[in-house]
Amino acid sequence: MNRKKIWGSVGYYFLTTLIAVIVMIPFFWMISTSLKSKGALMAMPIQWIPKEPTTKAYSQVFTMFPFLKAAGNSLFITFTYTLITVISASMAAFAFTKIKFPFSEKLFKVYLASMMIPTQVTLIPLFIIMNKLQLINKYPSVILPSLFRVFGIFLLVQNMRSLPDDFIEAAKIDGANLFRIYRKVILPLCMPTIATLCITTFMDCWNDYLWPLLMLTDKNKMTLTLALNSLNGQYGTAYNVLMAGSLLSMIPIILVYIIAQTQSKKGSIEGGVKG
Amino acid sequence: MKNKGKKKREALGAVPFMLPSFLGMIVFSLLPIVVSIIMSFTDWDGLEKLNLNTLVSHFVGLDNYAQILGGKEFWAVLGHTCYYIVLYIPLVFIASLAIATLLNKARRGVSVFRVMYYIPVLTSWVAASLIWKWVLSPQYGILNQLLAVIGITGPNWLTSEVWAMPAIVLASVWKDMGFFGLFLLSGLQSIDKTFYEAAKVDGAGRIRTFFQITIPLLTPSIFFCLVMALINAFQLFPQVMIMTEGGPNGATQVMVERIYTYGFSYFRMGYAAAFSWLLFIIIFALTSVQLKLQKGWVHYES
Amino acid sequence: MRNKKVNKALSIMLASVMAASMAGCGTAATVHAADSETEAAMAPVKDPEEEVTIKFTNFNASGGHEETLEKMYEAFSEEHPTIKVDIETVGYDDYFTQMQTRVAGGTAPDCYELNIENFAAYAAKGVLAEIKDVDTSGINETALHAFNVDGKQYGVPGSFSNVVLIYNKDLFDQAGVEYPDADWTWDDAQAAAEKIRALGDDIYGIYAPTTYNEFFKVAAQYGGSLLNEDKTEFTINSAPNQEAAEMMVGRIVDSNVQPTEAQMGGMKDWDLFESGRLGMIPTGIWAFGEFTEACEFNWDICVEPGGTQKATHFFSNAYVVNADSSQKEAASIWVSWLASSPKAAEIRIADGWDLPAITDETVLADYLKTTPPDNRQAVFDSLDYLITPPIIEDYSMMSDIITEKLGEAASGKITAKEALDQAQEECTQKIKLK
Repeated sequence: MNRKKIWGSVGYYFLTTLIAVIVMIPFFWMISTSLKSKGALMAMPIQWIPKEPTTKAYSQVFTMFPFLKAAGNSLFITFTYTLITVISASMAAFAFTKIKFPFSEKLFKVYLASMMIPTQVTLIPLFIIMNKLQLINKYPSVILPSLFRVFGIFLLVQNMRSLPDDFIEAAKIDGANLFRIYRKVILPLCMPTIATLCITTFMDCWNDYLWPLLMLTDKNKMTLTLALNSLNGQYGTAYNVLMAGSLLSMIPIILVYIIAQTQSKKGSIEGGVKG
Repeated sequence: MKNKGKKKREALGAVPFMLPSFLGMIVFSLLPIVVSIIMSFTDWDGLEKLNLNTLVSHFVGLDNYAQILGGKEFWAVLGHTCYYIVLYIPLVFIASLAIATLLNKARRGVSVFRVMYYIPVLTSWVAASLIWKWVLSPQYGILNQLLAVIGITGPNWLTSEVWAMPAIVLASVWKDMGFFGLFLLSGLQSIDKTFYEAAKVDGAGRIRTFFQITIPLLTPSIFFCLVMALINAFQLFPQVMIMTEGGPNGATQVMVERIYTYGFSYFRMGYAAAFSWLLFIIIFALTSVQLKLQKGWVHYES
Repeated sequence: MRNKKVNKALSIMLASVMAASMAGCGTAATVHAADSETEAAMAPVKDPEEEVTIKFTNFNASGGHEETLEKMYEAFSEEHPTIKVDIETVGYDDYFTQMQTRVAGGTAPDCYELNIENFAAYAAKGVLAEIKDVDTSGINETALHAFNVDGKQYGVPGSFSNVVLIYNKDLFDQAGVEYPDADWTWDDAQAAAEKIRALGDDIYGIYAPTTYNEFFKVAAQYGGSLLNEDKTEFTINSAPNQEAAEMMVGRIVDSNVQPTEAQMGGMKDWDLFESGRLGMIPTGIWAFGEFTEACEFNWDICVEPGGTQKATHFFSNAYVVNADSSQKEAASIWVSWLASSPKAAEIRIADGWDLPAITDETVLADYLKTTPPDNRQAVFDSLDYLITPPIIEDYSMMSDIITEKLGEAASGKITAKEALDQAQEECTQKIKLK
């Protein structure tokens, strides 16, 4: 029995470590590239350990554009965006799953269908709408689309559907109104899923490039991803600087990921207790 | 009568909850989509200033659709896309389920692995594809070197018409498994522990528990992942642009890559819009089937 | 010796400019064309009396030259105090997607930068303003002509790059072959490439991409072209073009002095050269910087070999003026200043940012001082043979079709002749010429 357990552990850690190596290879390569000096960055076979490691690329990132300013803009936009997504998506999902209203299934299908049109052909019309609304060069132009994130709605619909209706009936008998049920009963039960939604939304918004590029042409409003992409030249890219910048810009997402993971664990325990 | 009133009141209760997303949909999604339908009946170039007059003056009726459906390109590209999907969906699904299962174990260090396994999702396609080009390099690549160890001569992955698409699938699975793994993991975490205890009491083995308890209870998450993976797979784009640009000899040309090329490189936005709407019909049909079929296998109530 | 050559090249360039301006005299009322003292007479467009602000968007300064552009603007401000320029620099990726969206959305900047592929389409679609009545006399004529569509100047060449043959001296020494010179033809190059190829299994003689861009130039070297004179018909599978394509493809599939895609193993052509395993590479002069840093062997350049005649590439981006702009004149003044002012050119060269497309000899002389390559003179010698790509509305589609077919030939699936026949058929079928 004990031996079986030990072998189980060995097998488990062998497998998880193997996968970890596979998934981490590019990450190591990014680190190694960011520590290289310019020139021969793409040599084959790959040079894993830079001959003369240097942090020049990192200092370049900080001097080539106002890194902190751009990071601040990104943080503001991304936080607001994520917050609105979570609120709007969870409200819609609540209505779709726990309130009976006419055409709800049809409307849900329309929501889903809107994801199936490639954004390439809606880009110009959407740009014109934003222009008509006079939102260009204003933060809401990149934040407001968060009102309608079908991905989040669908994710939460799947989650709320598996919550038994008994809770709601019980709460109703207690005289709670819909908002109370939504806030006090449903949201806490969905915490693990909401945490997951936060991570993916945060990441999507943080890494979004083309839309902010169109909307925020004012240098002072530039996001970090925009700033990093302005390092790409026509005839070549300074990969060391690009990788240094990318690594730095990954830090906030990783932090959010870790926080959301611990929150979701806490949430699932609380939810379990309450349930 | 009283019942009807109650129903009405309940339906009205949905309004405030639906309002934010509904408004968002009208402005940021539905309006542009309607314009893109009109666009698909024109030969607008995507450069002339866009307004209703422009679209009306460029009206060509069903020409774009006739041209697309009558040509060979659409069907070839659809074939490539389906080839990708057939390989990608099962692989990414198995990989992410495996990851989620491993990460759901309460073992020491598991939270570190959770962060690590998500790193490919955070990595940009630019960085990821550079590394994959190296992994897949026939001469220096690690993949072919590993294959050589077990006596197989690896193909010229990205430059072979047969192997380029599987190579893109491989890179995509690597990048996406952490993403879908995350959702399956949160699905696993929300399964009530009492079910497992009950199964233990019944003396069910690990494998039986997995298939008879875990999988059925995970079906809402699985369904979500399948629908999203299908929609995303049909819209496969950045990895192709960066890794092969549609080559070799067009073997990896896929739907959205074509749509982008027609709209923004060949200046045939009307044609690109028609292409998009044909793609829409395909995805919509498949998703509707999925929604219909879910009643048969997705278990919502515990 | 070297100076003599400089003078020769510059005198030819100056002569061509003179010819251009004289042609101008014949047709228009411009009088003091060649007189640099009366520059104002050349530019009837006056600076605005009151201060105006124009928006200028570019990609070329991204990746390290934003400050250079800023310096140029400062110099411009001194000469044109009433024109304020709001400069926006966007990375190359997605630059054209965002520009197209802004143009279609009616919010394009007053003036902006385009590469040649997009310039062709933008000019044909009528979204660009004609740049007129500004001084363009200092600009290299071929470069200027590249952005002239049906007699109208829709853009001015901002910077300028051309292509030369770069070679690995050490490999030539090892193979015992004489270094290439300006008189070489592709036959000479082939003979040398074969000797270098014999040096080792993974050492190659030459690398020239089998793409549209390479093809239209090599075709011109054999006297061919992709379109007939008045651009009404494709002539992709003409006899001289076929000769060109067979030479390009033969290097890969027959003599294998050029590696196949598989032999490249995912490497880029520059990487191969930098690794010291490639004898010759016809490539852009923008490689000098990277090669200087990365190559641990001796290398030099010379004018690219030819077929029956010489022809060399040049690459240039266009600065254009938005047809909808309310400040077309101020925008024209700014972009033509950027392109032709010796001051701008000096700043450009001092910061090592591409070559300005101007003919001013004192400014260009500075460029020659930097080595390697020793034979920097070849960059200017190549200017004698510049050709421009054929500008048609469906430029990108034409170039994609030809590249795809040549690629099939390079992989040995079809012959060079079949590739051209198929490209001819597909282009004729898909692209409407005027």
